[in-house]
Amino acid sequence: MYGPALNDVDMTPVDGAREHVDNSKVCVKTLYAMVPDSNLEMLMARYQEGDFAAATALIDRLSPQLHRFFLAQFASRADADDLLQETWLRIHKVRHTYRPSEPMLPWFYAIARRVRVDHYRKAIRTTAREHRLEEMSEVAAALPGESDRTDDLEALLAPLPQSQREVIEMMKVAGMSLEEVARATSSSVGSVKQKVHRAYEKLRGKMSAMGLSKGRSGGLS
Amino acid sequence: MRDREIDQALERAAQAPHEVNPGLLERIVGSLKSSMRPVRPLPPTWVLAGGLVLICAAIALTGAARAGFYGIEKLSVLERALIFPTLGILVWVAAVEFVSEMIPGSRCIVAPGALLKIGCLALLGVFAMLFRDYRTDHFVSAGVACLMTGLLHAVPTGLVSWWLLRRGFAVNSVPAGLVGGTLAGLAGVTMLELHCANFEALHVLLWHTAVVPVSGAAGALVAWTLRLRSGSAAHERNSPE
Repeated sequence: MYGPALNDVDMTPVDGAREHVDNSKVCVKTLYAMVPDSNLEMLMARYQEGDFAAATALIDRLSPQLHRFFLAQFASRADADDLLQETWLRIHKVRHTYRPSEPMLPWFYAIARRVRVDHYRKAIRTTAREHRLEEMSEVAAALPGESDRTDDLEALLAPLPQSQREVIEMMKVAGMSLEEVARATSSSVGSVKQKVHRAYEKLRGKMSAMGLSKGRSGGLS
Repeated sequence: MRDREIDQALERAAQAPHEVNPGLLERIVGSLKSSMRPVRPLPPTWVLAGGLVLICAAIALTGAARAGFYGIEKLSVLERALIFPTLGILVWVAAVEFVSEMIPGSRCIVAPGALLKIGCLALLGVFAMLFRDYRTDHFVSAGVACLMTGLLHAVPTGLVSWWLLRRGFAVNSVPAGLVGGTLAGLAGVTMLELHCANFEALHVLLWHTAVVPVSGAAGALVAWTLRLRSGSAAHERNSPE
């Protein structure tokens, strides 16, 4: 019913794992964790079949990169936590829209982007209601420098516009191809290439400037 | 600085470990547990798109059967051979695109706005090539009647198409509405070509073709309104008071 993913040779340890679901969930989780990245699609198919251990394995595997995706969009850690939770709830609700023959990451990131946009709109509405629009724009402008993010990647991507940042995130953190990023962002491969090119131009400028200031001051300020 | 150096810097940064609060992950897992049950995945794109094409054909044919097949009877073989295959191709492309819009992470074959433009231009091209009668008898009254007839057939097409794809999830609802409206508009034009025997060039060029952009705009507007309302409803639910 689910096509080639379930007939894959790599499934042998997972099928074995499923036999032990009732006896030892820990054992199942460990074996699922051994499944290579290419078999995320297979885990998703199991999740659609109602396999709780597969859902847990997917959450464990994908949550860090998704959390990082939200964090790189200038969200605070608390916002990223909320967005992560909201994304998994949304994924759970619409999990039937994933087709096992399709790549999983574009489906996953397309939903994550939608959750982020909804969150942004909600924030705008809330702020409008509380008549604090001016304060919000100040906070949004200040976020890159003062958030609790310590990761280099977020700092590197901070000067990029959101559309370029998300594309770089998907390619470098999630390891998605141009075609997969195009699917996730509902755009063409050409448009993604253009965004990557522009992002690299900006990063080149920033990193060169950092290199110069490093040379002049003898270290990063 | 070369691209490879930027690549290396990004890859180094991306490889840095990133931890998510284990308590949060446990909460997420716990919140899904109670509703964990098997679900039936959506059928392949070609099945859904085929269903949409059948809906368009059925509504156009039913409408023309009720009002009379005067248009197709009066058309020459060449005119039929150009108009209906063009409409068929446009309906198929719009149906595939509508399915893609309703399934997250699908491949986008043509952007929704471009689909509308291509559809209108293709119809204008075919009509301009075939119809050379430049009289304008009852231009407005006959034109508005045709526009309304086309739109009246676009509405049920849009509703039944939405019903067929009700299990889908549009990540961008306004473009999805635009594509759905365009598809419904093409069904309306198909009905008009089967029924309307007024072959005055300006009548066909303006009033028949106008069904597609008007229907597309209506679809986008409906989707935008629904999104606004669902957003407000969610906001009301989440507000503390």
